Amino acid sequence: MERQRIGVFVCSCGTNIAHHVDVDAVCESVQGMPDVAIASSYRYMCSNPGQEMIARGIQEHQLTRVVIAACSPRMHEKTFRGACKRGGLNPYLCEMANIREQCSWVHSDRLAATEKAKALTSAAIRRVRHHEPLESLTAEMCPNTLVIGGGIAGLTAALELADAAHDVFLVEKTERLGGNLARVDLTAPHLDSARDLLTERITRVRDNPRIKLLLNSELRNLVGYVGNFSATVRTNGASGAHEEKTVDVGNVIVATGYQEFDAGRVTHYGHGKLPNVVTSFEFERMLRTGRIETRDGRLPQYVAIIHCVGSRNKEFHAYCSRVCCMTALKYSHELKSANPSCYVSDIYVDMHAFGKGCEDFYKTTSEVKTLFLMFDKNERPVIRKAAPSDDCDMLIEVNETLSGERIEIPADMVILMVGMEARSDSGEVARLVNISQDRDGWFMESHPKLDPVATTTDGIYIVGTCAAPKDIPDSVAQARAAAARILGKIAKGKIEIDGVFAEVQDERCSGCRMCNELCPYSAIEFNLDTRRSHVIPAACKACGACVAACPSGAIKGRHFTVEQLHAQIEGVLL
Amino acid sequence: MSFEPKIVGFLCNWCSYTGADLAGTSRIQYPPNLRVVRVMCSARIEPTFVLRALAGGADGVLICGCHPGDCHYSEGNYKAMRRFPLLKRLLKDHGVDNDRVRLEWVSASEGQRFADIVTDMTERVRALGPLRIKSDLQTDLVER
Repeated sequence: MERQRIGVFVCSCGTNIAHHVDVDAVCESVQGMPDVAIASSYRYMCSNPGQEMIARGIQEHQLTRVVIAACSPRMHEKTFRGACKRGGLNPYLCEMANIREQCSWVHSDRLAATEKAKALTSAAIRRVRHHEPLESLTAEMCPNTLVIGGGIAGLTAALELADAAHDVFLVEKTERLGGNLARVDLTAPHLDSARDLLTERITRVRDNPRIKLLLNSELRNLVGYVGNFSATVRTNGASGAHEEKTVDVGNVIVATGYQEFDAGRVTHYGHGKLPNVVTSFEFERMLRTGRIETRDGRLPQYVAIIHCVGSRNKEFHAYCSRVCCMTALKYSHELKSANPSCYVSDIYVDMHAFGKGCEDFYKTTSEVKTLFLMFDKNERPVIRKAAPSDDCDMLIEVNETLSGERIEIPADMVILMVGMEARSDSGEVARLVNISQDRDGWFMESHPKLDPVATTTDGIYIVGTCAAPKDIPDSVAQARAAAARILGKIAKGKIEIDGVFAEVQDERCSGCRMCNELCPYSAIEFNLDTRRSHVIPAACKACGACVAACPSGAIKGRHFTVEQLHAQIEGVLL
Repeated sequence: MSFEPKIVGFLCNWCSYTGADLAGTSRIQYPPNLRVVRVMCSARIEPTFVLRALAGGADGVLICGCHPGDCHYSEGNYKAMRRFPLLKRLLKDHGVDNDRVRLEWVSASEGQRFADIVTDMTERVRALGPLRIKSDLQTDLVER
């Protein structure tokens, strides 16, 4: 093996490392190791002078490899790779030893911690010898985008991209645009019309020549990788006929929305059995047609609204559906304006009024004489048919938490605030675009706080309620955020692909194709002419599953090669 | 002096290595016997890595990945999960006690769990005593 000149830089991290690890002893212990040209310590290796020390060290000592014993690579690997690059060394020729998070901070025995730090550092030295310079690659970015779902989020995302003069394929499963919002009358807390919100968007989408609208259509297949996807969309025509077409897109926005919880699952609320127990969406329909009436055509005098149907409950969904509380308040306003003498009882678990303007909305609802009754989520209200002598259709028994009393409420109509749940076809969508779902079926974001619209698959974005329950402003904000991310990538024109990926060594590949199916990203293609598999670097995420599984040892996991890992294993055992 | 086992840990970058880092930022103490090798995913861990560690002087090997369903690469941990029992059986047939090789799921938020696992494993392996594969191998070579 060729000789290397390795520079070892050990960080004290103030006293974070030095308090429990004898940093100088670590330097001394590696000084005599083969190929180690210099070993020095510094107070804060990540500081500007620390980084300068590394860059200068590379030049002064003609270093060919660098080891930094400091914090976790998850903290500062990028920083030190940058320092190496400034020193004229390929950034991948650097390796870190984690002697802070996994050593000095978890072991108080100074002697033992120092011994461990020595082992970790010497393992990094052994490993770095086998490192290879890696270069990032570039690929073209197709400027077209596929948007799946024609609800408020999908419409907004499509418009944002099309307004920036890029082509969008908007795929909607049903025959019309608007999604769940099209089923709603007014919106909380400003009581503006959902129809008005949607009409403007839908008209603009229909009029925009950049947007290719595909109604009655579904994504059937998606292959490729960020910048270079090929999507097959099936459009169902009348009389069962369908046609498929394949389009090239660079990115995909998933805006498939939610489905309502099936109220019939809460058997004792009697939905589907008691004629005047309706879901919030059934009530929205009454509002939109302007006819709030019981099944036998009467104006309800007593209306009860029950919250958290299917939500915040171990039996169904543990999460809060976020929009139902404000929607329930909206019903009070709408009921009162339709029939000022109507009695409205709002039976809730907790009143969640966290959005902008929502707390005020709660206050004004109290002013329109709504009776608020609180119940424990583990002790649901009981609905029963009233006696003919009562002046109402049903009676609801509630253990009212605030008063501590068992109260009976009259009702001619009961509105069940059904929660949101992941669509029953969400698993199929997740599989097609290769994204994950959480235990409730919602699509998972790349990072819940810092990267909420991206997913772990590059080029696939999730917006609106397919990722979790959310309101209109949040859905719109996400749609615009995803569009902005995509516009930024289109503006760059090319995508940069990290130099770390798997690579099939042709001469060793037997063509068994075991890796083809194994790859979670479909990043391995089989060449029918050469009878060998090869990895598409842009699609590879470098997990190494194929590397470990290849029976011929033909796949090299760059930066995590067998040689590098074996050297490290031997190193930690010294 | 009591026997101090050497344990090699293979930790996936996204969950377990981050969980181990969290144990550090939370200053949760555990025995210094574990030496960690980071891999991107538990699916990258080849059985030979474990054999290499045991043959190189490790008294135990700990493999940690994301909890089932949480894999950063969607299902790499399931691949590790399927591979592991085969390896364990092979090792058992060769006289390596099952307590010396362990597969555990540690999420990025489970610093305490990581520390507990390392503590428990260190105690178990310490009780088992040295593995001596390395010295046995060397004796074999000398005799040959």
